[in-house]
Amino acid sequence: MMSNIKRKWIAFLICFLSLSLTAGCGGSASESRSDTSENRSSVVIAMDPNSEPEAGFDPAFGWGAGEHVHEPLIQSTLTVTNADLTIDYDLATDYSVSEDGLLWTVQIRDDVKFTDGEPLTARDVAFTYNMVKESSSVNDFTMLDHAEALNDTTVAFHMTRPFSIWPYTMAVVGIVPEHAYDSATYGSNPIGSGRYILKQWDKGQQVILDANPDYYGEQPNMQRVTIVFMEEDAAFLAAQAGEVDLAYTSATYSDQTVEGYSLAAYESVDNRGFNLPAIPEQTTESGKRIGNDFTADVQVRRAINIGVDRQEMIDHVLNGYGSPAYSVCDQMPWYNPDSEVAYDPEKAKTLLDEAGWKTGEDGIREKDGVKAELNLLYATGDSVRQALAADFADQLKELGISCTLEGVGWDTAYDRAQSDPLIWGWGAHTPMELYNLYHTIGDTGLAQYSPYSNSTVDAYMDQALASSDLEASYDLWQKAQWDGTTGVTQEGDIPWVWLVNIDHLYWVADGLQVAEQKIHPHGHGWSIVNNVDQWSWS
Amino acid sequence: MKHRLNFAGKKLTRMVLLLLGVSLLTFLLMWASPLDPLQTNVGQTALGSMTQEQIAELEAYWGIDTPPAQRYLGWLGGVLHGDFGTSLLYRQPVLTVIGERLANSVGLMATAWIISGILGLFLGMLAGAYRNRWPDRVIRGYCLLISSTPSFWLAILLLMIFAVELGWLPVGLSVPMGLQADSVTFVDRLRHGILPVLTLSMTGVANIALHTREKLIEVLSLDYILFAKARGESQTSILLRHGLRNVSLPAMTLQFASISEIIGGSVLVEQVFSYPGLGQAAVTAGLGSDLPLLLGITVITAAIVFVGNLAADLLYGVIDPKIRRRAAKL
Repeated sequence: MMSNIKRKWIAFLICFLSLSLTAGCGGSASESRSDTSENRSSVVIAMDPNSEPEAGFDPAFGWGAGEHVHEPLIQSTLTVTNADLTIDYDLATDYSVSEDGLLWTVQIRDDVKFTDGEPLTARDVAFTYNMVKESSSVNDFTMLDHAEALNDTTVAFHMTRPFSIWPYTMAVVGIVPEHAYDSATYGSNPIGSGRYILKQWDKGQQVILDANPDYYGEQPNMQRVTIVFMEEDAAFLAAQAGEVDLAYTSATYSDQTVEGYSLAAYESVDNRGFNLPAIPEQTTESGKRIGNDFTADVQVRRAINIGVDRQEMIDHVLNGYGSPAYSVCDQMPWYNPDSEVAYDPEKAKTLLDEAGWKTGEDGIREKDGVKAELNLLYATGDSVRQALAADFADQLKELGISCTLEGVGWDTAYDRAQSDPLIWGWGAHTPMELYNLYHTIGDTGLAQYSPYSNSTVDAYMDQALASSDLEASYDLWQKAQWDGTTGVTQEGDIPWVWLVNIDHLYWVADGLQVAEQKIHPHGHGWSIVNNVDQWSWS
Repeated sequence: MKHRLNFAGKKLTRMVLLLLGVSLLTFLLMWASPLDPLQTNVGQTALGSMTQEQIAELEAYWGIDTPPAQRYLGWLGGVLHGDFGTSLLYRQPVLTVIGERLANSVGLMATAWIISGILGLFLGMLAGAYRNRWPDRVIRGYCLLISSTPSFWLAILLLMIFAVELGWLPVGLSVPMGLQADSVTFVDRLRHGILPVLTLSMTGVANIALHTREKLIEVLSLDYILFAKARGESQTSILLRHGLRNVSLPAMTLQFASISEIIGGSVLVEQVFSYPGLGQAAVTAGLGSDLPLLLGITVITAAIVFVGNLAADLLYGVIDPKIRRRAAKL
């Protein structure tokens, strides 16, 4: 009966549709992806709808910056980051910083024109930075006092405090023309000097970028880049229908195959890890519960760090698409490789035994009346984090630690994480993340996201920020993680346990050569097209 | 005349109260929502690499530290002056955003509304006339199946059949991918609208057809139908002269009431078809805690629904002489 009706229903559908189609068929030749010849110079990319910059392509409103930093494409930046996240030049030809770190002087090229034909000068740079500071969206410019053009090709940044990693900020902020900037319209009609020109923005659906014929660097190989914004399942269908050349996807779809496409996995620093409150449970003056009696024991935190099999987690939860994470900044220039540990469950058990956590009758460890129990928190609605937390709980069970799982909303998650481990996702292209995770703040004397403090770690990071040499500061950031005697790694305080870096997955049409990718930051988004100008068809 | 004024006054008061209630409810829901605007819009990772000062500035922008009563009254005060505020996400006046989005949605929703109305009435009449015979069973089966199908699921199914398997229609968007606006033809837009309209109409039909069927069966069992039959009137004549006339009033009520369902359905359907309409903006505003935009969208859609119902009330008089005369007497 049921299938009978279904058949009739589908027949009805087809009748109805063929009727409507007779009206609509004539002009279907206009679909763009019909040309698949080798010298094709256009590409269609499906991105997450969240990647669409609602407020437009204006650096003042966060274009290029934020959670998922990427090159702004339409505008030029002073510096760029290399594939290994070290700093190179775009507009800048040279930069220097004063001994006290409060004055940055940047020389820029003199041969750059905006796409309206006007030359780009240091005045535009100063204007951009002052304006972005003024509008204060996701760009953190609190360390900048003001920018000033000394002449056509020299710009000076006066800082409120030393900030050695300023070149990473300079790699994000696209330079806008002072003469043609209106904050009400610039977002949808941006004029820049970058590799691409915004040809068209159909809000809520697509962005069409055309190569800038007057670009000062190498001419883009891809003349037209179309980015469409689709939900994950729609993007998958679009790949199946052959309508897009590259579509984002996730591990959920990774066991599928799409004819004419292959699955590409790109490495990321998009990590997941738990915070382990490093102080005993207590109540603050304002009545908040902070700290955790079980994880306050450093041996417990060490045991957890070596007692989890990260590869097993990757295979089970991520279908193999990920890499083990040992820090918040794996493979970044400021990463200390000493963070890496080997999976050793026996040693983990020994550590717990030695610390006095004895296995009770129910298989759960106990010490002085304190049970080895954890309430693991995850953000509700994030199935990957939930699955990782569940896998983590299973593995801790083997060590004699009993875990419960609880989904929480972000309105309460920050407060809850002060006493219970929460699974977090980080992965920014700046060491400020390391700073904010491990450095103590203000009056509490504890780190912001999870209670922890170590004055040596603080001192290294303060020195790193105050350093007048970026290269030298990398070494200080690394020492903050482990300097041979103390730090935040296994032999140190280990106040966070890092689990996995999630690979970013894409369906790539056969023949499309995607250029080598920088290690992606947190989240799917525009960083995939950082070097779309170098992509090609074969 | 006095009656007319009275009627208009009553309706207007009701509308104002309704809109006030809807906006307050939306505000309270948003206020109670577990979404953290900074977390959703700026992102954990961005927050994690910012200084406390910057986070404080962002909190001020997203209105986190403003007391709720002050926020709502501030918004209300603006609206009374005709200012719906600026969207926090789009950084444009709320009315501009809504205008753009509504222009995209309106064709979609109007077409689906008309198709589902006409088709629903026709199918309902057909089912009622052939009660318990095969056309009735097929139509009823279809309606029950569709009413129990979530519209976004139906949308994905249609996409799989017509866009992926058959390749006849595009997967999404309202215009062809990568095509410049000046070379987009009307036919292109039509092709991109077919699947969303189809989904919305297919779901809209069910409700109207089932109700029309019930009503027709009720009418057909009345004495005057028996009398008409006895007089020798043909089945077609009975259906058109007695059935359709008596069914038209409830059908119209349903038709105008279904505006709200079409708007509601479009929220999900536009999401699946990546169609840049009001529904999509509503989802973005809701998930992104963009309070001015969400309040603007709910108030304006509520007003549209209200006006639809008002139109139904007014049209009763036009269609039914009895109501017209009764009103005139008062």
